[in-house]
Amino acid sequence: MRKRILVIDDDEAIRKSFVLTFEDTEYQIYTAESGEIGLKIFQKSKFDLIFLDLKMPGMNGVEVLLKLRKIDKNVPIYIITAFDKEFFEQLKSAGEWGLDFEVLRKPVDSEQLVLMVKGILERPTAY
Amino acid sequence: MYEIRIYISGHTLKSTRLVEDFRKLLDEELKELYSLEVIDIIENPQLAEESMILATPTVEKASPLPTRKIIGDLSDKERILFGLGIIAGKEEEK
Repeated sequence: MRKRILVIDDDEAIRKSFVLTFEDTEYQIYTAESGEIGLKIFQKSKFDLIFLDLKMPGMNGVEVLLKLRKIDKNVPIYIITAFDKEFFEQLKSAGEWGLDFEVLRKPVDSEQLVLMVKGILERPTAY
Repeated sequence: MYEIRIYISGHTLKSTRLVEDFRKLLDEELKELYSLEVIDIIENPQLAEESMILATPTVEKASPLPTRKIIGDLSDKERILFGLGIIAGKEEEK
């Protein structure tokens, strides 16, 4: 069975790049353009991995993370963000609340993204 | 002497356990022949940027060269040690 990945990002270019990157792989990509829609999709079915944008209109990434973790404590959630102190300030509060998350550096190229997903869902990978 | 860094996102229960398990693995494999630096990239994004870390958790063998980075399930001991070049390194020393 193909592993399922949910991408929650308001940027259409990012959502499309995930779909294109993984279209010929064993992974199935589902996308949501907002946190609200992402939560609805997540409540209806199981996913193996979630990518979540930090800066979105409406609910931001940390707010969505908080709600996702109430539904599922274990699914790996990667917050997509530039590695910048300004953005990480928002993530500090998530850590203080004890929410588990990982981060993915933005921008990321397709080849690295596939390697990383294989590393998370299959076996450790060098990059 | 191996210089190893582990990059994590915040000090959560999960990341604390991950670091403890990884340290145990290094203790078993390398005894005292290593140093482990834990880098919380939420506190130190600049360090992660300089080392071109793609995501967390990542383990990096900073020394001896060549540097190597691994992402994924850190409980897979053999693959992690092989990926970092530690298993091959030990064999070469024999």
